[in-house]
Amino acid sequence: MHDIRYDELHDEFLVVNPFADAILTFRGGTSGQEDPVRIIQGPHAKIGGNRLDVDPIHNEIFVPDNNRIRVYPREANGDVAPIRIIEGPDTQLTRAQSLSVDPINNILVVGFNKQEDEPDGAILIFNRTDNGNVKPRAVIRGPKSGIIRINQMAVYPPKKLIVATMPGLVDLMEPPNAFLGIWTYDDNGDIPPKWKIPIGPKTTLKKPFGVVLNPKNKEVIISDMRLNGVLTFSVPEIF
Amino acid sequence: MTKARRSGKIWLLSAVSVGLVASLAYGSWEISGLLYARGQAAQGRSQDRKSIVIERSPQRVIKDQYPSFSAVAINAEENMLVVTDENLFQILEYDRRDNTPPRARLTEPKRIISGPNTRAEMMCGVYIDPVTKEVYVLNNDTQNWLPVFSRDARGNATPSRYLAAPHGTFGIAMNEGTQEMFLTVQHQNSVVVYRKKASGEEKPLRTIAGSDTQLEDPHGIALDTKNKLIFVSNFGNAQVSLPGSRGGRRSADSYGKFELPSITVYPLDASGNVKPLWIIEGPQTMLNWPSHIALHEERQELFVANDADDSILVYRAGDKGNVAPIRMIKGPNTEIKNPPGIALDVKNGEISVASMGTHSILFFSVTANGDVKPLRIIRGGPANQAALNIGNPGAVGYDTKRDQILVPN
Repeated sequence: MHDIRYDELHDEFLVVNPFADAILTFRGGTSGQEDPVRIIQGPHAKIGGNRLDVDPIHNEIFVPDNNRIRVYPREANGDVAPIRIIEGPDTQLTRAQSLSVDPINNILVVGFNKQEDEPDGAILIFNRTDNGNVKPRAVIRGPKSGIIRINQMAVYPPKKLIVATMPGLVDLMEPPNAFLGIWTYDDNGDIPPKWKIPIGPKTTLKKPFGVVLNPKNKEVIISDMRLNGVLTFSVPEIF
Repeated sequence: MTKARRSGKIWLLSAVSVGLVASLAYGSWEISGLLYARGQAAQGRSQDRKSIVIERSPQRVIKDQYPSFSAVAINAEENMLVVTDENLFQILEYDRRDNTPPRARLTEPKRIISGPNTRAEMMCGVYIDPVTKEVYVLNNDTQNWLPVFSRDARGNATPSRYLAAPHGTFGIAMNEGTQEMFLTVQHQNSVVVYRKKASGEEKPLRTIAGSDTQLEDPHGIALDTKNKLIFVSNFGNAQVSLPGSRGGRRSADSYGKFELPSITVYPLDASGNVKPLWIIEGPQTMLNWPSHIALHEERQELFVANDADDSILVYRAGDKGNVAPIRMIKGPNTEIKNPPGIALDVKNGEISVASMGTHSILFFSVTANGDVKPLRIIRGGPANQAALNIGNPGAVGYDTKRDQILVPN
């Protein structure tokens, strides 16, 4: 599994099983071999991605799948078709692997991987309600951005922040320029992150893969693939 | 789903917006104006921005400092036991006769191969060449290499050779008679067959894949060269595609489906979209994440490391359908916890089990049955210290209600 999202409002957490193309929703606190409370899966659902995010206010689930974003009803169960799909040449979606949704400011941020015949990765910013062949509001991409690929993403609506892990080239075990970057919704073009938590001896990070925010304690929680560990940083200045 | 919380009128969405009090009334919401304005004021154009670098130590770190054993191989003639470690990315060699004393912290390995030069990272399969004693290892989700190490390699060693393997390989089996190497590929629902000495970008000799194969998230693989059969364990994560199509994972016309875990059996020379000769599948089989498997040709018994059931299952090699195992090693005395790996030592009449949940390798008689104690244990960490089992954590979540960190693997 390459993503997990906790829905505080409904006390549930959601994951994607990429081998069975399924979105699984579990009750909060699930332990052991308990069944999910809902499964979205089947030929109409056509779950194609490895990651997801949930909008608990508008009751929607977003799944990136390379050149499209599918949106499902949060309470869907069974073989349910998406209610919206962002797709088409104007979207610039080619390798969408990750995303995060802001239900307060109505923003959807999407993370790209690097592709052999394409430039480095990117962050694309859409409106939450976008549908069909729409242009992104902004694209953060280029050498100054430092983005090669984006893994898990989070947003912080009060400050309109995008938080993303940038683990570097996939086949480098210990990539030299990996970091966790924090951009704003207003960023566009080749822009470095406003804040950056780098890898290195001080942070001890090697290959940041996952990120989640704990605003209550002003913490950024990062999972690191190369460490097989989870590191919690106090970062009050971003909250 | 908690209906009481769904109908609550006021809640704190702290995961995404602490400080924003959202008033919910039957679907409508509004934001505290003061805090929202503060958030907007923080924005600005940033064309000439220089990043503020946050260089500080983490407040807390969750990490297992001991190995998570994922696969095991034995060469009985040399008393050579090689295990792979998914946590610290190590290949470790022990003497198979080692037995960690109960009060010892761990047993030191004879050698360790580990480091960025090795092309070995999230390793899940291992094989020892019976002649050269070279060690073959498989990476799963993080590296697409199959490196081979010499008998003397240690430390951050460069492999003697390496093969660009498909993404998501898990199981390895060798036909020494024909010098062919069989690999399962989790991400493609396939079995690929290479020359044993394949290297570089060499292509497979043949591939078993397609909608008729019933390969459903394949993991372990074992060969019966006497009866010319391939056995494959499957987790049951299936891809449904049009009959007769090439299938594989996520082809344009396929979709996912949950099936029961299974053992599928094919002719040794199978190629293409072939139906299994027979299948072991059903609730009586007790299969639950069947991982590595081993076939005892003399006894005609199939041993299965049954990861999610903390057990080792044994079937007759010819068992078909919804059959119960003829023996099962399971229970608190066995100390088996999340066993992905198993290897057979025919010469000494033993099986060795990689117990990922206890940092240990456990040895049992091939005839063991029930809740039996291991014959001996090689521990890579202190006794009674549970492994964290964090492997390739691609994401992290936070349960704000319980103040718990959620880590998918």
